[in-house]
Amino acid sequence: MNNKQSAETVCGYKCGALPPCAPLAVGIVPAQENAQAQYEPDKALARGTLFPGLDLPLGNMVNDAAPNVPLAELMAIDFAAHDLSLYLDTHPGDTEAFAAYQDFLRLAEEGAQRYARLYGPITKRDLLNAETYTWLKSPWPWEYRGSMEG
Amino acid sequence: MFIYKKNLQYPVRIANTNPALAKVIISQYGGPNGELGASLRYLSQRFAMPSDEVKGILTDIGTEELGHLEMVGSIVHQLTRNLTPEEIKAQGFDAYFVDHTLGVFPQAAAGVPWNAISIAVSGDVIADLTEDLAAEQKARATYDNILRLSDDPDVNNVIRFLREREVVHYQRFGEALGLVTEKLNQNNVYYMNPAFPGR
Repeated sequence: MNNKQSAETVCGYKCGALPPCAPLAVGIVPAQENAQAQYEPDKALARGTLFPGLDLPLGNMVNDAAPNVPLAELMAIDFAAHDLSLYLDTHPGDTEAFAAYQDFLRLAEEGAQRYARLYGPITKRDLLNAETYTWLKSPWPWEYRGSMEG
Repeated sequence: MFIYKKNLQYPVRIANTNPALAKVIISQYGGPNGELGASLRYLSQRFAMPSDEVKGILTDIGTEELGHLEMVGSIVHQLTRNLTPEEIKAQGFDAYFVDHTLGVFPQAAAGVPWNAISIAVSGDVIADLTEDLAAEQKARATYDNILRLSDDPDVNNVIRFLREREVVHYQRFGEALGLVTEKLNQNNVYYMNPAFPGR
């Protein structure tokens, strides 16, 4: 283990902390110290991670933006919430990250209700406020749609 | 249980068909490093896990992988939609077509059907999480190779997203292994299997 690493070290967003005096003969991945460095949700979706420190592309091949579809804004919020929840699975005591997660959940809930009113249900729970049984309405997620459709 | 969300995790909008490319990408649907194996590996390993952090991360990443399975299936479907028999023959898609028409079947690029031998459930938390770290790297390397073979920007946009998820999952499995290791006997982490403490 690097002697310069100590409990007091505050790592940059591209570096993580190793546990000091770890047992031999078992794999170690440096732990992400905190969730403070974050992309905006739309950039997080485009890059595939909320965290700039984990954004490690092949060569210079990066996405500038996700395809521009009506659902993209909601997808971005859902994705930011999901990626932060994976961080929380291994950092359940990070209260600051949990507060940020709850903010994402609130935005996601509002966005989902707005989307369901305009385009149709995302989950069957959305049928609670529907006039008829619109669950079967095409297109289904895997079907090709022009860029302007939902 | 699971509830279906009628949207993909990331949009798939592929303007041009390309059955030759679909034949390669289908490996991440049902090949040895693909998303079907990933989801079943993690969702099956959960049952013998000793700590809540590991149960949580395997549940959440395993569920996300089901969404990735759907995304890869969507890519294959969109790359092969509305094909004519002439296009199918010209692009070497005939050997797949004869058995599956334009359905999406879980197989590797070379035609080998999905096989559970490509995943492991050892019932041992260190063995399983170490397998998961390797699995994420193998999937990342496979997506790297797809990016080397594909020049379709609509496809590569999605593949880059999926590839990056492997990097993030590797980080989280590594952190989960660290958390579990802390709870084991520090003089000998292999003293016992917490999922089978009777030795």
